[in-house]
Amino acid sequence: MNKLSLLSPRRLITPFNIFLAFLLMICAAGVVGALIVFTQGLWVTNLTDLVPWGLWITLDLSSIALSAGAFMLCAAVYILGLKKFQPVARTATFVGLIGYSMAMLCLVMDIGRPDRFWHGFVYWNPHSVLWEVTMCISLYFTVLALEALPIIGRTPFMQQRLPWLSTRMTGLHALAPALAIAGLALSSLHQSSLGAMYGILKSRPIWFRPDLSVLFIISAIAAGVSMTVLVSMLASRTYKKARVNDDLLQQIAYFIGWVLVGYVYFRFWDAFSMTYTVLPGRTEGLHFLTKGPFAFNFWVGEILLGAIVPIVILLTKRYRQNQVLRMVALALVVGGVVAYRWDTNLAGQLVLLTYLPNQIETLYTTYFPSLVEFITGAGVVAYGVLAISLGVRYLNIVDHYSVPTEEHAVGEQAQALPAATD
Amino acid sequence: MAEEKKLNRRGFLKIAAAGAATLTGFRIVELATASETGGSSPHQWVMVIDQQKCIGCGHCTLACRATNDVPPDISWTRVLEADNIGDRKVFLPRPCQHCEHAPCVEVCMVKATTRRPDGIVVMDYDRCIGCRYCEVACPYGARAFNWKEFDGPNPAVPTWGTPEIPRRPRGVVEKCSFCYQRIDRGLERGLKPGVDEDATPACVIACPMGARIFGDLNDPESEVSKLLADYPYFRLREDLGTNPHVYYLPVREEAA
Repeated sequence: MNKLSLLSPRRLITPFNIFLAFLLMICAAGVVGALIVFTQGLWVTNLTDLVPWGLWITLDLSSIALSAGAFMLCAAVYILGLKKFQPVARTATFVGLIGYSMAMLCLVMDIGRPDRFWHGFVYWNPHSVLWEVTMCISLYFTVLALEALPIIGRTPFMQQRLPWLSTRMTGLHALAPALAIAGLALSSLHQSSLGAMYGILKSRPIWFRPDLSVLFIISAIAAGVSMTVLVSMLASRTYKKARVNDDLLQQIAYFIGWVLVGYVYFRFWDAFSMTYTVLPGRTEGLHFLTKGPFAFNFWVGEILLGAIVPIVILLTKRYRQNQVLRMVALALVVGGVVAYRWDTNLAGQLVLLTYLPNQIETLYTTYFPSLVEFITGAGVVAYGVLAISLGVRYLNIVDHYSVPTEEHAVGEQAQALPAATD
Repeated sequence: MAEEKKLNRRGFLKIAAAGAATLTGFRIVELATASETGGSSPHQWVMVIDQQKCIGCGHCTLACRATNDVPPDISWTRVLEADNIGDRKVFLPRPCQHCEHAPCVEVCMVKATTRRPDGIVVMDYDRCIGCRYCEVACPYGARAFNWKEFDGPNPAVPTWGTPEIPRRPRGVVEKCSFCYQRIDRGLERGLKPGVDEDATPACVIACPMGARIFGDLNDPESEVSKLLADYPYFRLREDLGTNPHVYYLPVREEAA
């Protein structure tokens, strides 16, 4: 095959390439938006001193939650010893790596001084939940990168062109159990602390409760694992080399169903317990969610579509076996968690408490993201979809049948040594 | 196979050791560059605001804008209409409350905002990364983010004073500092904050009604100590346990 035929229009215009071009266009728009943000400053957003955290923070929280499949599946495979899920853990690791990089892109835009992002590593405030979250996320990103390096090392390109590097990279796979333990510890810390970040703020009564950390980590587990399975299923249906063992995915989907049951239980427990205490602004905050402007998001987005419908689908064998229905359920879980993050982040900021003595009143404000926020947000999402699509295509991240496990490769080499004692 | 694994374990330990060393290094840098070292101060600076006297003219806000070079769309000290008693309006000027247990100090991930031993909550504008967690945490709305670069002349200068501190860059959070530059320089020159104008916050001097009183709570002879001993007072959102260092004297019956 010569170069000319590679570049001929018939080879270039494939559905996959059109899809990539579409994503690249959104990414390019996002880059333009980001340049506007960096040159003009954050006044181009609709954020204010009353609502300083908006769409980007929601995106950031959501992409971290949707990456939780990585630590869950790595823990299942390398700590609990459920080896059959190893190929799924591969997918989860890569999706997690991309998810965390999406979160970082959002944060770089969101903080006022991106040039000082490293201050968190140098100037420590261990009392700050956000500091703990920053440290955990950075360390966990390193863990994910180490976990993902063998995937890159195993590509034919690396094996043929840079065999020495490829060996080093795939060799890291031997660290998988240690990395899984580190990942589990770091993820347990920051996935819940992202909720605690809101939960410790006594000036915001709707947030100020211990339950947020529990709800954040449970919802992240449900949504992160859902994301992993959803990516695997979508890949297998659109790309024939992405072969999946549907039985494995079905078992995981069943597990998600039960996680959701636990989540809904805690969610209602949390909501009802808010009515036991009278704290200025808390009841108003709850009403804001349940019968105020966010009622639709709350009841339909988070509870009905985000939890109840997926529970029914995923826990009913007949529905779960239907691949389309299962994918719908998984997508709903993902959407439900994004809605939960959006509602949580905004409810605490839109319901305001005055500080005038003897007349502590509840006031309301509004927030709707600006065009630049939407464009850059879309750019970040497009980057994520693009990276995962390329990973499916070129890094083989979804393939349940042809993954050589390192143990075997190493074992064969050892046996081939002439000096073997046995 | 065993050898292969051992090598990798060693590799892992190497990475872990390198990581730990890096983190320790950061910690040493952090300790070496720490702006405050705990310590103690003989002073506890507080502000007393007399609602009886405040007429809501806003001179404090303007003097503050000039002295601290605050942009026109930000107020370090804001004057709110709090109430009506009969046909008389009652105002509530609100500077930073300089809380003893300041939520902003607790949440700041880089220690860009700290509480000095003399009770003033200060900002390190060179350290702030602009995450705005402190804004979300502050119950008093005392913090403002620099959404835009503040360039061009300050409309409050020179009518209301001249800037004494550098302008803040775009992308950091700023707030009232009790004009600590005036207090520190004044103390160096042997002046008494709250008594001598050059050592007293700009808003206190600018108030035409004498509604703001500044001083040292540790000094029983200071005017603030005497006022707080003689008059009933309140502080904002005391239920939160922040223990603010700004005290308010409410409108009193006899004089109304």
